[in-house]
Amino acid sequence: MAPHSTTIDTAHIKATAQKELLDLLVAVSPASSTLAFMWNLADRLFRYVVPPPTPGAAELLIAGQDHGIDKIFWVEENVVADVTQKNVVFLVRCTVRNALAIAAIYRSSLDATTYVTGEERSTDKPTAHVKSNAKIPGQQFEYNVLFVPRRTLVCEKILEDEGVLGDLTIGEFPLHFIPLEPDLLSLELEDAFEELYLRKDHTSIFYSARALMNIQRRYGLFPRIIGKGDCARRLADALIRMRGEEDASDSSSSPFALAPSSVLGELIVVDRESDFMTPLLTQLTYEGLIDETIGIHNSKIEVDSSLVGGPQQSGVATASSSSASPAAASSQQKKRPIPLNSEDKLFENLRDTNFAIVGNLLNKVARRLNDDYEGRHQAKTVSEIREFVGKLGSLQQEHQSLRLHTGLAEEIMKHTRSDIFNRILEVQQNLAAGVDPSSQHDAIEELIARNAPLESVLRLLCIESLVGQGLKPKDLDNFKREILQGYGYQHVLTLAALEKLQLLQSRTSITSSTSTRTNYATLRKSLKLIVDEVNEQNPDDIAYVYSGYAPLSVRLVQCVIQKPLMTRGRRGEDPSTPAGAGATVNWAATGWRGFEDVLKSVKGKTFDELQRGEEKAVRARNLLNGANEKRVTVVFFVGGCTFTEIAALRFVGRREEGKREIVICTTGIINGDRMMKAAMEKQ
Amino acid sequence: LTGKRGISFEEIARTAYDEGRGRLATQLLNYEPRAGRQVPLLLNMEEDEIALDKAIESGDTDLVFFVLLHLKKKLPLANFFRMINNRPVASSLIESSARETDPELLKDFYYQDDRRADGAHVILRDSLAQKDLSLKMEKLKLASKLLADAKEHALEAKALDESAKLLHMQEIFEKDLQQERFVGDSINETIFKLIRMGYSSRANKVKSEFKVPEKRFWWLKLRALVAKRDWG
Repeated sequence: MAPHSTTIDTAHIKATAQKELLDLLVAVSPASSTLAFMWNLADRLFRYVVPPPTPGAAELLIAGQDHGIDKIFWVEENVVADVTQKNVVFLVRCTVRNALAIAAIYRSSLDATTYVTGEERSTDKPTAHVKSNAKIPGQQFEYNVLFVPRRTLVCEKILEDEGVLGDLTIGEFPLHFIPLEPDLLSLELEDAFEELYLRKDHTSIFYSARALMNIQRRYGLFPRIIGKGDCARRLADALIRMRGEEDASDSSSSPFALAPSSVLGELIVVDRESDFMTPLLTQLTYEGLIDETIGIHNSKIEVDSSLVGGPQQSGVATASSSSASPAAASSQQKKRPIPLNSEDKLFENLRDTNFAIVGNLLNKVARRLNDDYEGRHQAKTVSEIREFVGKLGSLQQEHQSLRLHTGLAEEIMKHTRSDIFNRILEVQQNLAAGVDPSSQHDAIEELIARNAPLESVLRLLCIESLVGQGLKPKDLDNFKREILQGYGYQHVLTLAALEKLQLLQSRTSITSSTSTRTNYATLRKSLKLIVDEVNEQNPDDIAYVYSGYAPLSVRLVQCVIQKPLMTRGRRGEDPSTPAGAGATVNWAATGWRGFEDVLKSVKGKTFDELQRGEEKAVRARNLLNGANEKRVTVVFFVGGCTFTEIAALRFVGRREEGKREIVICTTGIINGDRMMKAAMEKQ
Repeated sequence: LTGKRGISFEEIARTAYDEGRGRLATQLLNYEPRAGRQVPLLLNMEEDEIALDKAIESGDTDLVFFVLLHLKKKLPLANFFRMINNRPVASSLIESSARETDPELLKDFYYQDDRRADGAHVILRDSLAQKDLSLKMEKLKLASKLLADAKEHALEAKALDESAKLLHMQEIFEKDLQQERFVGDSINETIFKLIRMGYSSRANKVKSEFKVPEKRFWWLKLRALVAKRDWG
């Protein structure tokens, strides 16, 4: 069925995923039997699709109960506690570690069957499908594994080597994109950064291509694939290849399947590797700072329950129905998960603003809210009172959310006011602006001596290395010694990993290598990365997200879709005039045109591919859907993107509202600490 | 025939192969766009290298892995290493999977490829995981010896020697000053603890032994004294 929407319908992606999962579960078990349901704790991913048993859990768990899900476990410590049901379903990503864990659980459960035999179970149901193991009397389990997003030969091989393959029923659950927001799709592959750039394992590119392919299958081909970076190139190649494979398969479902889309505009692929610096800087938007200080995973944060007040009601911070799920009571801990998404209207307004103005905004909302409450005194007549009571629910909800965000903002303030934080920020801004790096060395040494977080120190050194094309060998050796003595000799491994990532290098090793690196010194001028007088209150440029530094990655996107603005900026004219005002030059130019020279100082391959289809099919499609003037531009970040980049792209999107809509896709959400942790040894 | 939808070159090629015309089959397979279908047949035909290359081309890491597992079983280890050596995608896949499941294979691979630093890192990782102190030291020495051969890793080699020395000192501290744990701490942490506990001569010894710069030492001292609330 051809969709008639003018945009990518992210809700559809979610609905499809949920339906598929339910279908799989139904297929796994006879309708009336019950399942124990497990997945790996490390894969927070599934908390989204199948929310955990906490208040505020959404549709699927409830739906799942209809389908007989009895209990949900996180696979941890290789022990499955308290399985009461006959069917056990593992829902895990197909990683080596998970496969080994499943095998271990399976075997330990065989040993422990005596414990389970105590379970009383009605036996009037036919038990023919139960794996017959005559030696163990009583309860038998049926083991099912659903691999996400697919079963791999590798995992099967491991299960085979462990001798459990034959006892498992294996299926796959092709979950790729997870819609975090209507304009934000993520694969939520937390390790993608490490795999891509440190281990050179390109699995996540393959999954990205599959995910984008699903979009193309529904909306048609991207007419144009534009990108920068080696991994970006691989992704484009994989997409083009998959189109070829699709053409070869027999399923000729629709005559104009895979013709250029009338909904989609271009796909812009940005490789994290072409701009490592942006995520290394401390993000200064509200959401960015929450991620830096508390950490956001799958649109959720874990905060002290004191911050959100009453233990049960606070789930109301989102509009989602708080269901009385069975295990809710058991998950009473000190930390509470709080969803952060655009369902919370206050958060939607705050998230992308510079943190400097959050206090003011909160204050304004508090005043308005107060006025609204005061409005009750004016309510004299019965109908007026009734009207006020009708509003009361939403008022209280707003009140809750205000309390949460005031608390959060205070938490963050504590952090941003600290001496160490400000030292770090100062060094960062100096380095980004191009100050002689050696003038910052004293400050960095002091931070090490004061035991600042290792991640922060390493971020600073990496920034210096990126901006200055490496450190002087003498300086690098000195800092290496400082770090090893300050944080432990095991970080010999960390430093080696950072070198492999080309994040922290000596100048000599850079000059001897032939590959080009992103040259921030030249780009700073040609792309106007530093904007001195940035207006945080009422931003006129994306540089507001770092209080003066414009993310290179988003600047590159602007080179494609906001050419007039970018060329004006380059000629040194007033860049603050809104885009499209007097645009004449280059207006029709597409792709990278006009910026080829700039791209030469950015790392990685540059490409611009057109995808054409048969004339007839294109015309048919246009006839059916009408040629849309407004198209969807998809920006895909290979290797992760930051909340600041998302905010900056939303800012660009608002400027371009009439012409296009921007949807952001990524392999995952990243920040500087997560990048550094990728280099550190996992304990 | 090219460009037509729904034609399976794989089937044609398979027929050709069954008829004993191997070369023709290989040529025909070049037209098959679906790597998932090319590769198994190529392996069947014992065209190992072509199969590996086609798998790599597909971008499907699972398919690459499938070929690699097949080849590893089939070939002597040295030949297998030689085959993946000049194919970065393949060797990095072997590296990253061996990291979790088979460190010995990794050591062999690095040794054969003369990647001393990487080999030393595997041993260092081993050492970090060791609970037993003497085993830990032994592995440290082994790693340091591997690194010392190469000039560009002089700093790392020295660092590992230092690390062994530090562990030794920490062991003694633990014996002498029973109330505190030291093993595994960094130099800064060790100095910090010693000062906080009031053993400043021992702290000074650590400082001179590892040439801790004056400035850092004073920061440590300041922090430790504050933690101790010693305003004297």
